[in-house]
Amino acid sequence: MARRRMNSDAPDGGWRPRLAAGVRLRVDPADGRERLLFPEAALELNETAAAIVRLCDGRRSLAEIVGELTGRYGTTGAIARETAEFLGAMRERRLVE
Amino acid sequence: MNTSPPRSLVAELTYRCPLGCLYCSNPLDFAKRRAELSTGDWSRIFAQAAALGVLQLHLTGGEPLLRDDLTELTAAARACDLYINLITSGVGLTEARLDAFRAAGLDHVQLSLQDGDEAGADYVAGAGVHRRKLAVARMIARMKIPLTLNFVVHRLNLDRVGAMIDLAAELGARRVELASVQFHGWALLNRAHLMPTPEQNDRAEAIARGAAERMRGLMQVVFVRNDYLAGRPKPCMGGWGRGTIVIDPAGYAMPCQAAASIAGLEFPNVRTATLGEIWRDSSVFNAFRGYDWMKEPCRTCPERERDFGGCRCQAFALAGDAAAADPACEFSPHHRTVISARTELSERINPVYRTARSSRDIVHRNNSPGG
Ligand code: SF4
Ligand code: SF4
Repeated sequence: MARRRMNSDAPDGGWRPRLAAGVRLRVDPADGRERLLFPEAALELNETAAAIVRLCDGRRSLAEIVGELTGRYGTTGAIARETAEFLGAMRERRLVE
Repeated sequence: MNTSPPRSLVAELTYRCPLGCLYCSNPLDFAKRRAELSTGDWSRIFAQAAALGVLQLHLTGGEPLLRDDLTELTAAARACDLYINLITSGVGLTEARLDAFRAAGLDHVQLSLQDGDEAGADYVAGAGVHRRKLAVARMIARMKIPLTLNFVVHRLNLDRVGAMIDLAAELGARRVELASVQFHGWALLNRAHLMPTPEQNDRAEAIARGAAERMRGLMQVVFVRNDYLAGRPKPCMGGWGRGTIVIDPAGYAMPCQAAASIAGLEFPNVRTATLGEIWRDSSVFNAFRGYDWMKEPCRTCPERERDFGGCRCQAFALAGDAAAADPACEFSPHHRTVISARTELSERINPVYRTARSSRDIVHRNNSPGG
């Protein structure tokens, strides 16, 4: 029960996300875009999403990821919200953990 | 025609299999198709596929574990950076082999189970294998290899989807697929035994929906409804020749795993043509690409861009014309064949297991004059 609640809540800043086993990020030679590969699909990532996923190494915390992206793309509160939303949705699909 | 690249390759490595599933979609005449490509052939195909744009490889069969060179094949596929999914019954999988596959670059295992209940599972498989398969599932989870469990569901087991979902959770699967039987190959032969009732389907679907919600973030629960009951066809393969190449054990290339059932198609072979030539130029891959081949009602139907007129193999099997609308569609003039299949009686016919012996019998019967 406790685990379930944790999983459906919005992710907290201390979480250190990483790609789940069996999920791979790679550049698609056909169009130079990055795609997330798992058995059911090859999910096309836009530039921001790919940048987020690349930082999911299991060492950086969510707060640190947001910090890095803010440094890179400028300062808006939108980055924190969008990153948390995106990673929360990815966690629900068991693509990151 | 300007074609986008294929994205996934389904490699049917062998038609040999220790199981005899009633729902198997392999060709009925598999017993006479004994030729198998060599390790070198497959390695060449993987490289050609990757160069063409393929990202994902599904190793299947038959039972791919019966190939002694599965580790080498995995390594060859990984060398061209393909994502590798092994689709297996698990029978014969040992820790040592799985370890070797993983070292060679295997990404994911999709294991089939036939039921949530041992007696039911062994009945459908025609072999006492369920218990061994559970041990294999546990071993895969213990080795932390990502696992999807796939249950083909039908009349004989649909009432136990709850138990299947619980079992999948207990076994540590990341995803469980409850995929309604598709009536190709042996499943079509056994349709009267496997056809679910609409009530059964609705109940199972509701249970799966509840479980999907409950297990959000822990395990993905996916239910695929039977197209005979849906009123609309599935967008089969995401469209003919739009994203997938299937290669059979002997090297014949097909747009879907059941395509060999369509009479009159001359399938190209990877031994005599490159995958690029096959994908772009072969008559088979172009036969049902785009929309020009369509007839009414599909030709002018707004749904055609979503479902591509459904499944060509089903159109051929049920309407006698591979270019017709899939009879699973309520607008098809042949839809009544699907409706009447719902009430077929199974009492008077025996189920036929997918064995080499029944396959040979079927071939023999079809070849004998008047038979
Ligand atoms: S469906 Fe069953 S019989 Fe057919 S190939 Fe798969 S495991 Fe073998
Ligand atoms: S008529 Fe053809 S295109 Fe329209 S829904 Fe039916 S199968 Fe699909």
